[in-house]
Amino acid sequence: MECIFEEMPSNPMEHDKYIPKTFHEVGKRGVRRIDGYRKASGKAVYTRDIRLPGMLYAKFLTSPYPNARIKGMNTTKAKALLGVRAILRYDDPEIMGKKITSTQGSEEEVLSEYAYFQGQPLGAVVVADSEEIAAEALGLIEVDWEVRPFVLDQEEALKPGAALARPQWSAAPKGTIMEDWTPSSEASNQMPVSFGFGPVLRFGDIEKGFNEADVIVEFTARRNYHGCSDAEMLCGVTRWEGECVELWLHHQHPYEHKWTMHEWFGIPMNQIKIHSPYNGAMFGGWNWMDYSMVPQYVSALMARRTGRPVKWIFNRRDDFTFGQMDVMTSDYRIGAKRDGTITAVQIKSIYANCSFEGASHLLENTRIPNILSETILAQVNKGPTMAIRCEQSPPCFCLSQLFNHVAAELGMDPAEVALMNDGVEGKDMEHLAEFKRAHGFPVKDSLRECIEAGKKEIGWDQKWHAPGAKKLPNGRMHGMGFVWSQEWDDTRGAGAAGLMFQADGTVNIIALRSDIGLNAETAYCQIVAEELGMRTEDVFYRQQDDVYLPLMTPDGSCNMSTNGYVMKKIAKLAKQKLLELAVTTTHLIERDIPPAFPGLKPADLDVKDSFVFVKADPNNRKSVKDVVKDLKGSVILPREYAGIQNTSHEPIFVFAWHRQGRFGLEPGRYRLCRQAHFCEIEVDPETGEIEITKVVNANDVGKAISPEAVEGQQYGGTYMGVGRNLSEEYVWDGPTGVILNGNLLDYKFATIQEIGSVETIIVETGMGYGPYGSIGIGEDVGTITSYLLHGAIHNAIGKWVDDGPITPDKVLKALGKA
Amino acid sequence: MPKKEMNATKTVLTRYSCPYCQNAFDSFEAIKSHILIAHATESLPEPEGTIQVTINGQKYKFQVEPDWTLYYLIHDVLGLTGTKLMCDRGACGSCTVIMNGRPILSCMTLAVECNGKQIETVEGIAEAKHPLIEEYVKHHCMQCGYCTPGFVVTAKALLDRNLNPTEQDIREALGGNLCRCGTYPQHPKAILEAAKILREA
Repeated sequence: MECIFEEMPSNPMEHDKYIPKTFHEVGKRGVRRIDGYRKASGKAVYTRDIRLPGMLYAKFLTSPYPNARIKGMNTTKAKALLGVRAILRYDDPEIMGKKITSTQGSEEEVLSEYAYFQGQPLGAVVVADSEEIAAEALGLIEVDWEVRPFVLDQEEALKPGAALARPQWSAAPKGTIMEDWTPSSEASNQMPVSFGFGPVLRFGDIEKGFNEADVIVEFTARRNYHGCSDAEMLCGVTRWEGECVELWLHHQHPYEHKWTMHEWFGIPMNQIKIHSPYNGAMFGGWNWMDYSMVPQYVSALMARRTGRPVKWIFNRRDDFTFGQMDVMTSDYRIGAKRDGTITAVQIKSIYANCSFEGASHLLENTRIPNILSETILAQVNKGPTMAIRCEQSPPCFCLSQLFNHVAAELGMDPAEVALMNDGVEGKDMEHLAEFKRAHGFPVKDSLRECIEAGKKEIGWDQKWHAPGAKKLPNGRMHGMGFVWSQEWDDTRGAGAAGLMFQADGTVNIIALRSDIGLNAETAYCQIVAEELGMRTEDVFYRQQDDVYLPLMTPDGSCNMSTNGYVMKKIAKLAKQKLLELAVTTTHLIERDIPPAFPGLKPADLDVKDSFVFVKADPNNRKSVKDVVKDLKGSVILPREYAGIQNTSHEPIFVFAWHRQGRFGLEPGRYRLCRQAHFCEIEVDPETGEIEITKVVNANDVGKAISPEAVEGQQYGGTYMGVGRNLSEEYVWDGPTGVILNGNLLDYKFATIQEIGSVETIIVETGMGYGPYGSIGIGEDVGTITSYLLHGAIHNAIGKWVDDGPITPDKVLKALGKA
Repeated sequence: MPKKEMNATKTVLTRYSCPYCQNAFDSFEAIKSHILIAHATESLPEPEGTIQVTINGQKYKFQVEPDWTLYYLIHDVLGLTGTKLMCDRGACGSCTVIMNGRPILSCMTLAVECNGKQIETVEGIAEAKHPLIEEYVKHHCMQCGYCTPGFVVTAKALLDRNLNPTEQDIREALGGNLCRCGTYPQHPKAILEAAKILREA
C-alpha cells in the first residue's frame, strides 16, 4: 500500500506533489451542502435540543463575588424543594480534595470552594426535574462567604500591595513550567508566561536597529477583555447504560472525552459512546480550557447517582465565563527607515490571565531584523482567557498596530510598507523563494497577489489619501485602512477515517468529529470524490455518531490540512480495491461469476463520474454500482441485493491514518501564504461613530476545496472581527467586580447592519502545506480583522485610537472632544 | 369544585361551587343533581391554563404552566426543536416564530397568551416547501446553523408582507437576528432570489 502514498508529503515541510492537472470536484462551486437543508429547515439537532426519557437538569452555583471562599454552605432548603433530585456539594466525599486530570494535562478540582472571578461555577451543583427548579434551588443555597479584595486590571495587579487574585495558590501556580519559574519571595499576581514561549524574545540587535532608523515611533495600545458568545449555550448530556456510558457533547474535542471518562470512572474506553451533534458555533475558547471537561464529569457522576440521564446546562449569563486571550497592554518602540523598511521593533506587553508572543508574526512573516519583545503575565479576578478564534490575536494586534503607525509616520501607503517588509526571520522574499524551491512549492509572491487584487476591488489608488484630508458632503471623515499577515495553519494534528461502498455504489466516509459549520462534511466528500473518480453526490459523510474512527476536530485552522490528506488516502485505497474488484472473478458457493471487466488488469481501468471505464476505450464503461453490487448470491432469493447474510463478495472497506505534523510550530517551516484586508469607513466627528462602508478580503488559501466555505469564513471572520474591533468587551463594575453586560443585549456583537458590503477575493497560489497546496482559513480573517479599523480611523481623522474596542467615546477623546 | 374556606387553624369544607355557573350548594348531593339538570349536555370547563393553538396548520390543546414561554412549549413540550434559544431575552431573533402573521419572539411570549393563535415555525415553512429554504441552502446562508431557523422565519414574514423588498428592506428586517458565524452577506441574496420565485409563481 505504501506505493500509493509515496507522492504525499511524509513530513509537514513538503508540498503535496500529487495534484491533478484538472479538478472535477475539488474547487467546484454549486456543490450542495450536506448540512444545508437540515439547518435551513430546523431539522439539524444540537446538544441543546436533546431530551432523553427521565432526563434531569444540572445547574452550577456561581460566585456572586470576584474573589471569595466558601466557609460553609447550607443546602437543606435547596434539597427540600420539590423536584430537586440531588445536590453535589464541594465537600462531598467522592470529590472533596480530588483532582481530575484534563486532556491538557492539568489537574482540576471538580467543585472548588474558591472563586477567583464573579460568575465562576463552584461549590454546588443542583440536579432537578427542570432547569427552572434547579435555578430556584440554587437561590435557596445559603453560603457563608469569605469575601476578599480583588483586582481587575493587569497593570494594577502587578503593583506592590495589590490584592492577590488567587491567594490560595502556592509559589508555583498551576501551569508552571518549573524550570522557567522562579518563585518570588512574596506571593504576587505575576505568573509564568503561557504557551511555552519565554518571557523575552530577542532577535538580532535591537540597539543596532534603532541606530539605523531614520524615524522612531512610540505608542501604547490596549485591548479589553472580550469573549465568545457561541450561539448555543454550553451544555452536555450523560447517560449510563449499566457500566457503559453515553455522552452527548457540545464540545470541539468529543473524542477526548473517551479518555477522560476512562480516567475518571475507570471504564474501558471501548465501552464509551459519544454523540457529537451539530454545534451552535464553537470558536475555541471553552474547549481549550482545562475546566471544560469538568461539567461533563459532574453530569456523569450525578447520572450514576440518580440513575437518570443528566444534562448539565449553562444559561447565557453562565456562558460569560471565559474570554479571548488578547487582554493586553503593549508599549511599542519602532525604528524605521524613510524607505519603509522597519529596522527595530521593541514591544513590552502585559497580559491578563493568559499570554502569547506578540512578536511571533514579526518573525514568521517579516524580514524585520531586530526584535525585542517582553511578555509579562498577571492573574486578575476575571474569567480565564484562552484562544477564541484565535491564539494568533496578540501577534496580529501587534503587527497591525505597528505597521499602521510606521506607514502613517512615513506618509507611505501601508500596503507598500507591508510589501517592503515581507519575509521571514529577518530575511527577505528571496530567502523564502529558496525555501519554496527546495520543498517543492510554486514560487509566488502571495502578499503581492493579495494586495493587488484587494486594491483593485476597493479602488485603493483612487480613494486613499493623507490622514484627515477628506471630509465628505455628509460631514463625516472618510478613511481607508489596511491590515495584513500570514495565512496560518499550524499543520498539526492527526486523524483516521474509514470508507465503505454500499451495495448501490454509494460511498460512506466513516469517522467521528465535531462540526462547527465550515462545510467540512461536504468538502471531505469532494476530496474523496475527486480521488475516487466519483460524483460528489455519491459520497456521503455523517460525522455525529461514534463510529470509533476519530478524524481531527476543528483546531487552529489545521483541520482541512490534516483531514484532507486522510480523505486522499482512503480514496486512493478504495479506488485500488474497486478496480481490483472490477477485474476479479466472484466465487459464489455454487458457481463463478465473471468480473465487470473480464481479461483486464486494474491498471487498464479508471473511474470518472461514478463510472468505471477502460482507459483505452472510454465508452466501455460500467457504473460503480454495477461493479460493486451484490451478485444474486443466493439461489433462493432472486434479488440483486441478497441481504447481509448472503453477499456475494467482500464489501469494499478501507481506512487510513495521517499525521500532519507536530503540535505547534516546526522550526524552519515557513509561512508562505498571506492575507490582506482593506476597508473604507466614515467617521462621524460629532458622535464618534464609525460606519464601515466596505471591507475587501484577500486570502491566499493555496487552493480552495469548497470556495463557498472559504467565502463564508471571509464574511464571517469580517463580521466577527468588526464586532471585536468596535463594540465587544466585557464590562465590570469597579467597586464590586461584577460583570455588568453578561447578556446579548449589552454585549454587542455585529448585526447585519454593521458593514455596508464585504467583497471577498480568493487567491490560490498553491503554496499551502495541505492537500493540493491548500491552507486553512477558519481563524485567519476573524483574528486579523479584529484590528482592521485602527489604521482606517487615523486615515480618517488624523488621530490615533490605539485601544480597542473602538467605542465612540474613544474617537471623541482622540478628537479632543471628550 | 368544592369551595374551601380557610380559618385560622384549619381548612373546613363548607360549600360546593358549580364549575359552570359558579352557584354555591350546601351538599354534594345538591350540586350533583343541579349539574345533571342544568348542565347535562355541556362539556366540562377547561382547567386553568388550557390553551388551544394551531401550529403549522395542526390543532393542539395544551395545559400550560403560567411561566412557560411559547419557546418552551414549542421546543421542549412539543419537540419542534428548530426554534432555538440563544439569548433568552429578546435580543437575537433565534426564537422567532410567526403568530397570526407577525414575526414574534417566542422566548419573550408566554404560552398562556397564545390561546386561539395560529403559529408557524421553521418546520412548517419547510414542509410547505417555501422557496426560501432551497435558496438558503444554495446560497450557503448557514455555517453552524443555530441561528438559521430564526432568519428563515423572519425572512418568510418579510416576504409575506413584501414580495419586492430592496436590499435595505432586507437588512432592516434581519437587523434583529444575530449570527455569531457572520453569514449575513449571503442572506439578502437568498431572499431576493426567493422573492423573485414567489413573484413569478
